[in-house]
Amino acid sequence: MGVRFPSPAPINMEFDTQQIRDSFHEAIDNSNAFILYLNSMGNIIACNKKIESLTGKKKDQVLGRYWLSVLYNNHGEQNLIKQHMFKAVMDDSIKYKRPNSFEGALVDSQEHEHLVSWDLTPVTEEPKGLMGMLLVGNDVTQLKDREESFKKIDNTLKNIFSNIKEYALYVTNLDGNITYYGMGSEIMFGWQKNEIVFKHISILHTLEDAASALQFIISQVNAKGEHETEIDLVKKDGQHFPVELTVSRFIDPDGKPAGYIFIAKDITERRKLEYQVFQAEKMAAIGQLAAGMAHEINNPLFVISGRMEMMLEGKRLAKKIKDNLNIMNAQTERIRKLVDRLLKFSRKTIPRLENLNINEVIEGVLPLLSYHKLPASSVEIDRVLAPNLSPVRGDLNQLQEVFINILVNAYQAMPQGGKIAIETRNSQDGFAEITIADTGHGISEDVLKNIFMPFFSTKKEGTGLGLSICYNIIKVHNGSIDIESKVNEGTTFIIKLPFA
Amino acid sequence: MSYKVLVVDDEAPVRSLFDDLLKKEKYIVKTADSGEEALEAIGKEDFDVVLMDIKLGGISGLEALKKIKDIKPATTVIMITGFGYDEDLINKSKELGCSGYIGKNMPISQIMSNFKLFTKHLK
Repeated sequence: MGVRFPSPAPINMEFDTQQIRDSFHEAIDNSNAFILYLNSMGNIIACNKKIESLTGKKKDQVLGRYWLSVLYNNHGEQNLIKQHMFKAVMDDSIKYKRPNSFEGALVDSQEHEHLVSWDLTPVTEEPKGLMGMLLVGNDVTQLKDREESFKKIDNTLKNIFSNIKEYALYVTNLDGNITYYGMGSEIMFGWQKNEIVFKHISILHTLEDAASALQFIISQVNAKGEHETEIDLVKKDGQHFPVELTVSRFIDPDGKPAGYIFIAKDITERRKLEYQVFQAEKMAAIGQLAAGMAHEINNPLFVISGRMEMMLEGKRLAKKIKDNLNIMNAQTERIRKLVDRLLKFSRKTIPRLENLNINEVIEGVLPLLSYHKLPASSVEIDRVLAPNLSPVRGDLNQLQEVFINILVNAYQAMPQGGKIAIETRNSQDGFAEITIADTGHGISEDVLKNIFMPFFSTKKEGTGLGLSICYNIIKVHNGSIDIESKVNEGTTFIIKLPFA
Repeated sequence: MSYKVLVVDDEAPVRSLFDDLLKKEKYIVKTADSGEEALEAIGKEDFDVVLMDIKLGGISGLEALKKIKDIKPATTVIMITGFGYDEDLINKSKELGCSGYIGKNMPISQIMSNFKLFTKHLK
């Protein structure tokens, strides 16, 4: 007996129209859009379930009711203007039998506001004319929120960019002409947008760089897509300043190279700090070397000068020998003084700190100047001392030495006479700031670079230790000493000491 | 009366210079090249004055000073300092009972007058 297989179901090629209609209705009912069908009077004759989320009522309960009063049932008063606008749009659709759209807020039964974008479609049947109106509304609240937050992010970024001072962002076309000059560029370069747009990028570079370095950068970008370098750029007033420059290719929406994006970061401050660290390290190394050498010279020098002094005490010394010994003695004395200074420079004497009023220290130093060999010229001393100057922690002797050193230097810079201006003030960042400015011959840039280096001197009789000792003293006080000078105009020392 | 001085320094030329200078002034001088040797000498005989470098090889000048003051508190100890004398060391040696210090950066005449000043009480 053979097995009977069930016969296959007959294939029905026709659609079950009833079933399709049912599922279509179900889909409409469950749609996430508001779907309403109104008669020509504006009463709801059909709608999907979505309306329940708005009204909090079963959809059957809204059937037959006027559309506007259903949609604006909650907080209708507040939405009066919107209601009128919506009605006007509806009237237009009815009158001219044309579709319209409208966007407005609705409040649901849970008091939540929804932004709904409506499409109004008149349903006409010739020759009867308008039969009804189909309303389809999409809740676009979230979309709108997202748009708002995008706008907010945009604005925040714009704010951030316009407040950035260390960065400049600018764009050129492939020929190197500036096409965009934004974010910090005006602040950094001093050029206004309208002065510089369409000008060639080389205007921001030094003459030498414009010829070679810039070409190199662009060739690197063309090869690798991006190039980063440190380079000097030029401000509108001609001043050079160091930047960290990042250049990348700018691609247009079609994927073709359209230009170059430049991002420049001003690194003047970083360079300054690097230089200071370098300088401080150099001084420390020299100090160590000096101390080591001085200690080694110490004993032999002591023995030599001691023996010579003993010989000089001999009663029956031939005059010639005595003269020679005296010369040798004077010269070893010179070495002794030099070694002494050297050790003073390198010593790590912990300052004896007390609360000091720098104004008083300065007043106390001025009479001491008369003990120093000063050029016989008429020098006028101007004092502008802040009456409320905050005290600092300092070693009186050491700080006196610093001021005497600087003042003696100032005198020596003005053999024809001049003016010394001493000023004290409280700085915003917690320092007593002292400036001592003379109207002397000034210091050239080459000399200025080495001014605090030990043994560096331009004076015939200088040991080159004075200012290096000053430098060390101010450093152990956790302060700073700077010098500005212009040849034939004068020199200004700026000393900062932290408040006590 | 001439009193006995022990000179302690680890460099022979320095020892011999002090030896000559002090003998010229009629002091009785002995020398030691380290703190250890100095303590040994002090253990064997009494010295009126010990003139000792603050920086020594072996035990430091400060340690030697402390031990001398332990064994023979009546001994006058004068420390010798180099050019770059360290104020910290000087303060510590004062606390430990040294009577004074003379610096190798001083002229000989001043060294001797300082020496006499610090030993004035012995007369």
